[in-house]
Amino acid sequence: MLRNLLATAAMASALIVAQPSLAASPPNMLVIGTNLTGIRTLDPAQNNARTVSELISNLYDNLVQLSPDDLKTLKPMLATKWSVSDDAKVISLTLRDDAVFQSGNPVTAEDAAWSIQRVIKMGQVGSTDIALWGFTPDNVEKLVRAKDERTLEIELPRPVNTDLVLYSLAGSSIGIVDKKTVLSHEANGDLGGAWLSANSAGSGPFALAQWRPNDVAIFNAQKAYWGGAPAMARVVARHIPESGNLRLQLEAGDVDVGQYLASGDLDALSNNKEMVIDNVPGLGFYYIALNQKDPDLQKPKVREAFQHAFDWKAISGNIMRYTGFPWQSMIPRGMIGAPDEAASRYDYDPAKAKQLLAEAGYPNGLKKVLNPSGAATLPFAEALQASARVAGLDLDLVPGEFTPAFRERKYEVLLGNSGARLPDPFAVATQYAYNPDNSDEARLGSYYLWRAGMKVDELNTLVDQSMKERDTGKRTEIFKKMDSVYSGMDAPLVIFFQRTDPYVMRSAVKGYHGHTTWSTRWHDVTKE
Amino acid sequence: MANADLVSKRNSDTTFSEEEVAYVAPHPLAIILRRLAGRVVAIVTTLLGLLFLTFSMGRLLPADPVLAITGPEVSKEVYDRVYNELGLGQPILVQFLSYVGRVATGDLGTSATTGQPILTDLLAIFPATIELAVIAMIVGALVGVPLGITAAVRRGTVIDHVARIVALAGHSIPIFWTGLMALFVFYAKLQLVGASGRVDVFYEGLVTPITGFLLIDSAVEGQWDVFQSALGHIILPGAILGYYSVAYISRMSRSFMLEQLSQEYIVTARAKGLGRRKVVWRHAFRNIRVQLLTIMALTFGGLLEGAVLIETVFGWPGLGQYLTRGLQMNDMNVVMGAVLTIGAVFLTINILSDVLYRILDPRTR
Repeated sequence: MLRNLLATAAMASALIVAQPSLAASPPNMLVIGTNLTGIRTLDPAQNNARTVSELISNLYDNLVQLSPDDLKTLKPMLATKWSVSDDAKVISLTLRDDAVFQSGNPVTAEDAAWSIQRVIKMGQVGSTDIALWGFTPDNVEKLVRAKDERTLEIELPRPVNTDLVLYSLAGSSIGIVDKKTVLSHEANGDLGGAWLSANSAGSGPFALAQWRPNDVAIFNAQKAYWGGAPAMARVVARHIPESGNLRLQLEAGDVDVGQYLASGDLDALSNNKEMVIDNVPGLGFYYIALNQKDPDLQKPKVREAFQHAFDWKAISGNIMRYTGFPWQSMIPRGMIGAPDEAASRYDYDPAKAKQLLAEAGYPNGLKKVLNPSGAATLPFAEALQASARVAGLDLDLVPGEFTPAFRERKYEVLLGNSGARLPDPFAVATQYAYNPDNSDEARLGSYYLWRAGMKVDELNTLVDQSMKERDTGKRTEIFKKMDSVYSGMDAPLVIFFQRTDPYVMRSAVKGYHGHTTWSTRWHDVTKE
Repeated sequence: MANADLVSKRNSDTTFSEEEVAYVAPHPLAIILRRLAGRVVAIVTTLLGLLFLTFSMGRLLPADPVLAITGPEVSKEVYDRVYNELGLGQPILVQFLSYVGRVATGDLGTSATTGQPILTDLLAIFPATIELAVIAMIVGALVGVPLGITAAVRRGTVIDHVARIVALAGHSIPIFWTGLMALFVFYAKLQLVGASGRVDVFYEGLVTPITGFLLIDSAVEGQWDVFQSALGHIILPGAILGYYSVAYISRMSRSFMLEQLSQEYIVTARAKGLGRRKVVWRHAFRNIRVQLLTIMALTFGGLLEGAVLIETVFGWPGLGQYLTRGLQMNDMNVVMGAVLTIGAVFLTINILSDVLYRILDPRTR
């Protein structure tokens, strides 16, 4: 019996050895190692998270686009040109005539109108970006319409800066879908939502070949794409949740692009000549939230003490090296109205923090519960806990998923990070400076300032103005004013870093540019 | 201990009172039917209890199932819509009962995080898990049993000590670390195996699923390059998972064997002049088969849901990862579906090992 077992074992090992050594991924195929957790559907109308935005942006074309290196200039995509009426109420877009969906149907203005109407009518996550401008399921059919086969008209229900509206059209949720095909798969009035969750019906450079949630997504090139056939015949996005494994596959050449690597692995890869790390700035921050429903944290001096209780410089060189850069203004770097420099507004000064606490009535320090927003922000919360202790703030760190509690204002001190997609300070301002109703019943969990429990009328007015104002010069002044009000009031959302998202690429990969608005496109990617 | 209990029970059984002797035996078919009914009731109650426990525990988790779907940047209107779509506004008992009602009709619901019906998800995931567990089980048994028996036979020698160290190392070194180190050696350096998933990316989608077991399907369809790639992907996680179970299997085999080797029939057999190998494998081993079977059955069940870490390291789309992710995101349909599956597998293993006991051990017939 033992002899039989041994023979079997020998046979098995022979088979393994017979396995040919693995070659790197083929030259016309791009392999992206990423994290596919939580992607429930590939329907543009139902998404706005980072990974899925990238996948959708390659299946569907938008009317307009922003290139990753210039977030201010709108570029043509399905629309070749656009104009705004003199009263700034109507945007007209002219569509190109050579674009076709993967079904072979031509892309018409009716498809574009219906796609936007669909997003609003479904009212899913994708509508968050565009419902802001005042579209509702009741008015959208009237306001977003096809004037003729090639002309789309978007009438605005209320005065809004039209650039903001055009920017929002470049977001992945507003990908144009094939009306005829999608409606043919409609079930129970879902506007094709169930079918689109695992199928594609776009005019983009790629079509969905296979989708297995939490495992793999495979995209095949559309040779007849109006912008020319992509160099990559196939793109594979593979779920590789373990950073160490992803690093080995990048080094071996089996994976071309890596996302969501841990900082230790990024450090190691940064020394590898075959790798390029692209640290893409994001429209969001790492912040400390101080719940204003807590009487201790309501005191301005206590809030100010927090500004000096975090030794952020100590982590900016290591755990923060690839995930953010020091930035303490609420206007993201490089955007209109942003300060030239905001990297050292708050210094770590435990003595000063102690003194501020004493002045606020806490000569023996203050004890609070600290939560990270989730696993990703835990290391930063640990760093805060250590440095705050020296400053007389005894923070009791309780790890876990606390975003839900944050949204319901059930926390004391929280360390979190945020993200936004609209490339204008307005998007960040709605999160950090806007709160029209501070009551618990309002449940305005999408506004961070509501989560922190503070309402500032001056900021509300400024945010409203920044949405309506059409003159860029005036808007710049509005955002500058916002920044100065925010930093002068010892805000309950203490900003320390602006976020960045690291993308690791093998140096042979050219033309892959991580996009700040998450609409990373693969059309121009080549491999040497 | 267990044997002593049995003996005392047997003794007490032999002292019948008058009344008990007068008892008329029922028809054998009735006995079988009654046993069968009892078993079905037991299975259903177990699964229901399991579901209820899981469901209540899920409600205590801090994770928000709505945010798992929408992402954190969501407006109040969208949040409320999704909240109501998931039926979260209803009382917990109503939610539970309506869930059980649907399960009874074979509808396990839809996953909030994959958007697929749970049954579709499970049909894709379960074969991957079983495939991995079977490979691990084969490795565990092929290494563990001979290792344990050799250690018992050579008790106290260097071989015994080495066997102990080898086995315990597998159990005590974090499997996460073993996995990464093995990847480094066998994937990155030697390039013998694949790193993640069930097959190389360029073989994805080439095999039409018949059974869902990639090794079987690719072999049946004659796609030997896919088969080889699949084997290259499963062998490392399978071997490491197997090595992990070697500790338990080998230690148990050793102690079972030691118990047998100290019995008088072994001394008799040796005294008769039988060779050591014959004594060990023909006589002693036969008597520990039933106990070993119990150990293996338990280990196999454990491998199904206990492989989370190895599944994560190797990006293996299996049940452990599916369940953990469901828990993290409070996707209750996923958690319940996975728990139900694991419960059902454990019950099946129990029944199967009962049947095997009867075949292997004449006393239980």
